[in-house]
Amino acid sequence: MLTTLLDGINGRSVVISRAINIAALLGLLVVLSGSLFLQFGVGEPPCPLCLIQRSGMIGLAVGPIMNLLWGLRPAHYALSILGAIAGGAGSVRQILLHIADPGDPGYGPAVLGFHLYTWAFITFLVGTIGCALLLLWTTPFEAGDGGVLHQRGIQRWIALSAIIWVGIDALLIGLAVLPECGLGMCPDNPESSFSLGDMGGITFILGTGVTSFLLGFLASRRLGDSEQPDLR
Amino acid sequence: MFSMFVLWIIVFVGIARRWRYTALIVLATLAWTIVLLNWHMTDPIPLNF
Repeated sequence: MLTTLLDGINGRSVVISRAINIAALLGLLVVLSGSLFLQFGVGEPPCPLCLIQRSGMIGLAVGPIMNLLWGLRPAHYALSILGAIAGGAGSVRQILLHIADPGDPGYGPAVLGFHLYTWAFITFLVGTIGCALLLLWTTPFEAGDGGVLHQRGIQRWIALSAIIWVGIDALLIGLAVLPECGLGMCPDNPESSFSLGDMGGITFILGTGVTSFLLGFLASRRLGDSEQPDLR
Repeated sequence: MFSMFVLWIIVFVGIARRWRYTALIVLATLAWTIVLLNWHMTDPIPLNF
């Protein structure tokens, strides 16, 4: 009876931990989609430090992606923390550059009073604190989780969709770097590139989201009904 | 800087195909990100962006 009770607690902790990882991925998608909207909708091309921060964002997302696909492991959170440190270094550099001169208006538009590099720093900080707190909660690691692929249901669908969306965003960011910067370093103050306009940008972002959820749904259906054999 | 995102795409392929050394590729990508940041910081042109 005690074993059954412990299995129940472990199983529930895995489901909760996965939900937190999915929420973290969706939060990162809001930030990545916002930056893509500025790039393709408003026509603000990313600066070199912005690209460093986007790389850090993808690094921060790698931990939850591995947790969801491969199972919950402390090492995956460690990778996220390192991603946050790399990206955070870029955002701190940019914040310091713009507070050095009191007359400096900052780079790019401000959102809710903060520039995007300040929001990026806040995201990296929250991500690091979140990973540290999840590392303190050891119950999900003891359950021997094998990832969402073995668990049928809406959690698998949302997880796969979010992972596909991050992948599409990473691909789009990478492909957009090529015409702007070629294979070398990007220009420090890039010229405004082509713009789809506000509505075009929103449609573009929503399009990537809808495509991701459709692909996630198809992938989840294709995986079928295999129940989680790895949970012990 | 394009190379940074090529490495991330390799990481995504590694995660999808469950490559054993994916974590090492992640570490290499993050190290490369820091190298690029360092190059940007030590560039002789005044860099404010």
